[in-house]
Amino acid sequence: MAKHPDAQRLDMLHGTLDMLILRTLQWGPQHGHGIGQAIRAQSDDLLKVETGSLYPALHRLVKRGWLKWEWDVSEANQRAKYYKLTAAGKAQLAREQDRWSQLVNAIGRIMSPARAASGGPGSKE
Amino acid sequence: MRPGDDDLDEEIRGHLALSIKDRIERGEDPAAARLAALKEFGNLTLTRDSMRSVWRPRWFDAVEALARDIRFAVRSLLRAKGLAATVVVTLALGIGANAAIFSVVRGVLLRPLVNRDEDRLIYIRQSAPGLAASNMTFSVPEINDFKSRVTTISAFGDFSTVEFAMIGLGGEPRMVKAGVVGGSFFDVMGLRPVLGRLLNAKDDGPDAAGAAVLTYRFWSTSLDSDPTVIGKTIRLGPRTATVVGVLEPSVPYPADTEIIANVVTSPHHLGATMVTMRTHRMTELFGRLAPGATLDAARAELTAIHDAIKTEHPEAYSAKANVQITLTRLRDQIASPARTILLVLLAAAAVVFVIACSNVANLILARSVRREGELAVRAALGAGYGALRRTLLAESLVLCGAGAVLGVAIARPLVAIVARYAARFSIRALAVTVDPSVLWVGGGLAMAAAVLLAYVPRLPSPYASAFATSWLWRTRRSLGAGGPAGLGLAGGSVRITPGTNRRLRAFATIQIAFSFVLLAGAGMLLATLITLQTASTGYNMRQVLAFDIPPSATGVTGAKVVDFYQEATRRIGQLPGVDGVAVGSFVPWRDAGTFGSGVRFSADGYKRADGEEDPIARLRLAAPRLFGVLGVPLLAGRDFTDDDRDSSEPVSIVSQSVAQRQFPNGDALNGHMWWTDPYFGKPVPRRIVGVVADVDDESVIGRPAMAIYMPVRSVGFGGRLFVHAAGDPYALVPAVRRVIREISADQPVERAATLEDVRAEVLSPERLNAFVFSAFAGIALLIAVVGVAGVLAFSVSARTREFGVRLAVGAAPRRLLARVLSEGVLIAAIGIAAGAGGGYALASVAAKFFGHVELPGTVPVIGAAAVLIGAAVIASLMPAARASRVDVLQALRSE
Repeated sequence: MAKHPDAQRLDMLHGTLDMLILRTLQWGPQHGHGIGQAIRAQSDDLLKVETGSLYPALHRLVKRGWLKWEWDVSEANQRAKYYKLTAAGKAQLAREQDRWSQLVNAIGRIMSPARAASGGPGSKE
Repeated sequence: MRPGDDDLDEEIRGHLALSIKDRIERGEDPAAARLAALKEFGNLTLTRDSMRSVWRPRWFDAVEALARDIRFAVRSLLRAKGLAATVVVTLALGIGANAAIFSVVRGVLLRPLVNRDEDRLIYIRQSAPGLAASNMTFSVPEINDFKSRVTTISAFGDFSTVEFAMIGLGGEPRMVKAGVVGGSFFDVMGLRPVLGRLLNAKDDGPDAAGAAVLTYRFWSTSLDSDPTVIGKTIRLGPRTATVVGVLEPSVPYPADTEIIANVVTSPHHLGATMVTMRTHRMTELFGRLAPGATLDAARAELTAIHDAIKTEHPEAYSAKANVQITLTRLRDQIASPARTILLVLLAAAAVVFVIACSNVANLILARSVRREGELAVRAALGAGYGALRRTLLAESLVLCGAGAVLGVAIARPLVAIVARYAARFSIRALAVTVDPSVLWVGGGLAMAAAVLLAYVPRLPSPYASAFATSWLWRTRRSLGAGGPAGLGLAGGSVRITPGTNRRLRAFATIQIAFSFVLLAGAGMLLATLITLQTASTGYNMRQVLAFDIPPSATGVTGAKVVDFYQEATRRIGQLPGVDGVAVGSFVPWRDAGTFGSGVRFSADGYKRADGEEDPIARLRLAAPRLFGVLGVPLLAGRDFTDDDRDSSEPVSIVSQSVAQRQFPNGDALNGHMWWTDPYFGKPVPRRIVGVVADVDDESVIGRPAMAIYMPVRSVGFGGRLFVHAAGDPYALVPAVRRVIREISADQPVERAATLEDVRAEVLSPERLNAFVFSAFAGIALLIAVVGVAGVLAFSVSARTREFGVRLAVGAAPRRLLARVLSEGVLIAAIGIAAGAGGGYALASVAAKFFGHVELPGTVPVIGAAAVLIGAAVIASLMPAARASRVDVLQALRSE
């Protein structure tokens, strides 16, 4: 879906958006725009989250009980919805982090049997 | 938690504001920042929709897809209104008929009775197959034997039907049918009063006060549910009784009576004959299973005791009579006469449904062949197999749903008709109303039909692209080299494949086959009815008016009754327009069964073989001139006269078959006969003074019956008055009634009807049978005609080009007409053959379950076949005419 020819951004790996959102919110409540900016900044502009994916994902996580929202006034002086991790969300984040590191390990072993842990183009995924 | 639309909008606005602020802070121009932020956000509406869809339950999407398909189906069906209407009406008929019959079947056969613990309530019957007596009831000594010996039945209830001349409870004196019961009856039946009390053990015995309970139907219809009726005194014949209560609505069994009274109201029940005579049977017996006892255990015990009783009293149970005892649950007993007829109706309704479905399948198949192009293009554009099937399913759901709604709507009036009809066989049908099961049945049938129909048409999908390509290719080829392929879609060309053609014809044949079965069945019933209605009865049917003038109204018997008859006869005979008047004892057919199967007698010079029992003859009473009034010819000797009275010589008149069988030498006249039944005491030889023609007053199908007549005057009993009218018989009714009332003010005069109308009344179940079945057959025929016409019309329109070519090369239009007609007739002929074969096979299967199954005779079968062939010709005429009038140029150009 993200087809910006100008940037060499990486497409979001399927299923990782939820984890990234949860991870970002670990630092405290944040509104949607802030979450998108945080993911972008922390990935050195390599990952860009489309609003069209971000907001449905946020609502999905709320529906599942991992996030909750509250309204507050943003730095733009306007009401904005701030998302916040719930206890269940924290547990889920821990689970996803485990799973993710297992996956990276497994894929890394296949792609670089010599345990080239960093520097390769494929390791970022 | 689910956010509203405002919430979503505000969240998006908040996002945009932040995004714009960021950009301005980075130094962008505010206007440009705003545009950039909006651009970056992408499609606002889409994002909002996908946010909203997160909160929707999962089934929502499936329903939405189906709703889309259904909207599409409705739109495309609206373009084919004729087809849609035909399908909906056809299905509605099939579904409505089934739903109606099913709710009656449910109400009559499956619903529990209102009686307390009705599954423990049993009905006990004594029958004598050897005497063709299916219900010989019980006598009081027999019941007492059971009461003292049986352990598996905790209590017995007894019920006997009598007629009382009732005075009181409004209006003039009239005859009522009443039950006479012992004190345990209502407790055994497990019924409650809606008003007052029912009868109990204190009402038993000769010293109790007369007490009567009104049935709910009588109380609510004849007395307008008047609560003050309790405590009123009524005259029942010579006795009186107090109304003590009203019975709750319940199935009246064994007889639909108006009142139920205790034993003391009926002098006969207290008499020695009733109490001590083992063969004087007139009581129906009910029982309640003892706690822990099963029906089988009770059956075994009762049968054993019954066998013991038979051995103890051989004189009351002749070997030839082969007296048997049977136990059934009351519910099953009540339903049993209706079971066969209802199951037959259910089968007929199912057949109509099959016909309706195959007709609809035909129409749908034809339609889908026309749509083959459309489907192929949709498949080529990426519609999957499932999506195409769903399109078809949506369409058949719309059609069948509409059909079901209409069907359930017509089920309501149908239930009323069928229930009134079934009430002739089971009293329970009176209470049947449309119940929710109709909706379930209708809906279920519609769903079944919808799914079936969705799978009838062949789909292009599995080879979607290849099929579409080949279809487009074929289209282009038929259009000629240069034509654009797309035109074929608009042209709606139809290509009928041999497979489709076969299927269409198969469905049409099925319809004809099933219609044939129904038509032949209806024909059989009609033939029976016509036979019954036109059978010669030996009576003067039109001009003879029959009245009931029950004798015991005032408790007067004997000589006074005879005087009354004589006076009434004399004065009615003087009325203008009366050709003749006489008293008798038996209105033909209307009184059938009320005198039992006959009385044993013997005659001069007749020697019976060893072990043979005395012959049985019907005992009838006749006043002078009765035979003349009824139109029954006197073959020899003389009629009774006023001098044949109890003090003079005992005489009798016999029917021709008695004379022939008992007096083979032709010397019946002046011979003697005597009753040998112990009921008549010491045999008295009666001189035979006359021989009359045979008439059958028990059954409208006249069979020679042995009947022996005794003079009314010598018995002092009659109860039926016959008037031979010169003109309109019914015009005499008020005058006759007035004359009788002048003589005896308390005398009921009832049920005036000509013999012709009595027969019509007796035949009404047969007429209803024939009517209902004919209605089914008519519906089936109509559907089949539509089916055959549809198939041929389709086949003709698909072969327009062929006919064009034929005409172009010189075929005569008449030949084409004949060709299409013969196709229709061929379908009908194959269908009839299949129907005949299948019908006979079905009948032989049914015979295994129902014992004897009547097969239609030659005339109904040939008639049904002729009707179907005729219908097929009519159905083929329109398509055939169209085929012969094909415009050659148009036909050749159209492809």
